[in-house]
Amino acid sequence: MRSNLERMLRAGHFAVCGEMSPPQGADKAAILTKCAHFRDVVDAVNLTDNQTAVVRMSSVMSSVFALEGGVEPILQMTCRDRNRLAQQADILGASAAGIHNILCLTGDYMSFGNHPGAKGAFDLDSIQLIHTAAEMHAGRFECGDEIKTPPSLFIGGAANPFGEPLDFRIIRLGKKIRAGAQFLQTQPVFDIPRFEQWMTAVRGEGYDTLAYILVGVMPVRSVRALEHMRDNVPGMRIADEYIARMKNAADPKEEGVAICTEIIRRLRATPGVSGVHIMPVMWESITPRVVAEAGLLPRPVLTPVADVEAGGAA
Amino acid sequence: MSKLSEGFAAACEKVPAVARLIAFAEDCFKKPVFGCHSCGQCELSQNAFVCCMRCPKQIRNGPCGGTRANGHCEVYPERKCIWWLIYQRSQRLGWRKKLFKYHRPVDRRLENTSSWLNMFAGRIEPLSLDNGEAYEADARRQEAELRERRGEKG
Repeated sequence: MRSNLERMLRAGHFAVCGEMSPPQGADKAAILTKCAHFRDVVDAVNLTDNQTAVVRMSSVMSSVFALEGGVEPILQMTCRDRNRLAQQADILGASAAGIHNILCLTGDYMSFGNHPGAKGAFDLDSIQLIHTAAEMHAGRFECGDEIKTPPSLFIGGAANPFGEPLDFRIIRLGKKIRAGAQFLQTQPVFDIPRFEQWMTAVRGEGYDTLAYILVGVMPVRSVRALEHMRDNVPGMRIADEYIARMKNAADPKEEGVAICTEIIRRLRATPGVSGVHIMPVMWESITPRVVAEAGLLPRPVLTPVADVEAGGAA
Repeated sequence: MSKLSEGFAAACEKVPAVARLIAFAEDCFKKPVFGCHSCGQCELSQNAFVCCMRCPKQIRNGPCGGTRANGHCEVYPERKCIWWLIYQRSQRLGWRKKLFKYHRPVDRRLENTSSWLNMFAGRIEPLSLDNGEAYEADARRQEAELRERRGEKG
């Protein structure tokens, strides 16, 4: 059972992912409403897992609701809130519910969120979680026991093109791929030269041929959002050019969309980039416009027949 | 390790007080010198003698995405990122290739036991005293296998 995202990538289409934050309440309708922004606009949507360590509806249940809303989910799973038993239990449940894309993350530290006194699990790290997921897909639990009905997974990891030192980041990327990552999603790009430097190193190792690289982009509404990320989000790099453009824009929202689509077009022309991951923060409704203006609509519709034609043997 | 070392470890562990004494001696040395967290499966020799358990997220295959541009930790901005230190020191020692190794999940049963005894008993990996050539070669072999098996991505 292959996910739509996996089939899309295997067929060689330039993939588009969105991102949705689950609600901070027992509000299923909120997810179904947001699904309308993504249906037939993106190939899959990330459902975040207590992002920035703030409690929200669980990513597994939110993913189930997203499926109900007609959107293919990418289940984000962190190592912060669950040990290896709970993680594997959730993977089994998710796959049984029809969720096959999983993004394995270490997770933001508790002190960044709304329960700073919480105990962090950090039983596995993200690479060990990727390895565990790959083992489960192959029919084994982390302990080595056999899984009678194994989950069917398309496994992803995160990559930070702006992390230092670059050399070590590439080594670690290779580790994720060898552990079993089939796709990688990156931090949002606001610094094209530095991103290209990273991408050149990735291509140099041939990692773009071993995993699909989905590059993060972020439409922003104001110059403040950019400045906030530059000053407060570790591991982010924002080129001064974009700050100046947002500052001088008559309509910052329009400029934010223009910058985002411009970056998408650049990425689409970059060798080794297999798709984009659009992650507006609390501005999901802008996704359809960004996808349309970047020239990525309509999304290809794959039938199971197309899957066979694409030659996707297991 | 060897029959001899396994025999030594078994003899020490037969008397819990002796095993505790050895663990205590190890702590006395490693805690002040390396900031050891007593995981019982020491990887100091893999990580250029920087204890990776000092990372707030206890990442064994670091660093996380949040390292600051100045090489400091996202959680404790006043401290250096542990994995940044590991990388810098590995470079200085000519041990960069050791960083290619995948580290398995921590066996929590070994926490607060002696890594020395666990090593003698063959429960954990022996000290790594070369430059990690074999780790890189192993990584490249795995990548070639992946390429072959998949023929393409995925």
